[in-house]
Amino acid sequence: MTKRTIVATLALAGIFVALYLFLYKIGRIGNLSCSIGSCETVNLSRWSVFMGAPVAAWGVGFYVVMFGLSVASLQDRYADSLGMSKVLALLSGGGLIFSLWLTYLELFVIHAICQWCVTSAIIVTLIFIVSVVDLRERQRNAEITPA
Amino acid sequence: MAGKPSNRNRNVVRNASTRPKKPYWIFIVIAVVGASILGWAMTRKPVASEAAPVVPPDTATAGPPQPHVTGKADAPVKIEEFADFECPACGRFATITEPDVQKRIVDAGLASFSYYDFPLPQHRNSQAASNAASCADEQGKFWPMHDQLFGGQDKWSTEATDNPKPIFESYAAAIGLDAAKFASCFDAKKYQKRIDANLAEGLRRHVNSTPTFMIGGKTYPAALSYDELKAIVDSAAKK
Repeated sequence: MTKRTIVATLALAGIFVALYLFLYKIGRIGNLSCSIGSCETVNLSRWSVFMGAPVAAWGVGFYVVMFGLSVASLQDRYADSLGMSKVLALLSGGGLIFSLWLTYLELFVIHAICQWCVTSAIIVTLIFIVSVVDLRERQRNAEITPA
Repeated sequence: MAGKPSNRNRNVVRNASTRPKKPYWIFIVIAVVGASILGWAMTRKPVASEAAPVVPPDTATAGPPQPHVTGKADAPVKIEEFADFECPACGRFATITEPDVQKRIVDAGLASFSYYDFPLPQHRNSQAASNAASCADEQGKFWPMHDQLFGGQDKWSTEATDNPKPIFESYAAAIGLDAAKFASCFDAKKYQKRIDANLAEGLRRHVNSTPTFMIGGKTYPAALSYDELKAIVDSAAKK
């Protein structure tokens, strides 16, 4: 499995985690399955909306874009593209920063932890790590390939 | 720029024919599993609550409700709970969460707490439990009986026995009630009208599961955690 496939797989899993929280937020799911922490406290707090849209909706959007780009990067046309690796690393870096901010809010402002938000934060972190490793490898290969 | 490959092509390490196959099956498996779980989550009933009564009492003639109240009458926020003594989710709330709510919210003067009987028909011993609790209230011991009933649900529930009275009498003795007075009250169903009135009030307010909480004008049809309840009380207090 290539690193870009791993990124796509993680992003697809992230879509469903974010979608689960989004469906709860808009009232399509009655109770969150939450054995650890206080998912409803977090998802009903005023911090669960960002720029007029539920944070979970931003999460769905982010993961859909990451999944789309990573699947595109598997196609022959982009398979050797260093630029695509840069975009993936940059976007996932942005996602990681946003996720860190949300985790800070959970721990120090809301004083409650949502296990699905933590799951999403772990997925974003893994996507970022794999994307950066992929980028570094491709940069290294580019340097050692004779011009 | 002949002879100098573009940046995009400099790092070519294998051609298209040697590239690994694209593992789309992984995506399909994750998509199917994820969609199935989401579909299940959207169709399942809330686990914390139980269904509403099938045969409602006459809400027009039931009279005004008389909930059991603890806390300051002038507390800034009112927490109202509609519960069934035999409902497991209500039992978990009463035994795990409510002690903290009592100590940190009610005793601290942040809110009062009102208990409305909402016995569900599938729980055959629940009406009797509400009667036992109201008879204990007659002797000023509603809340100790409330704790005994919820703490011992598995001993007197519909599944456990058809005759819960001896167990209720043992609770009455444990909390120091006058046994004869309690038995007389219980046998006469002295407070059945009060129980019906509380149940009718829940139906008037569209309660359809237990436990249901009403705080600051909003309805929460689930067993709330302490954190959730505290956040809701804080929010209601700011209004």
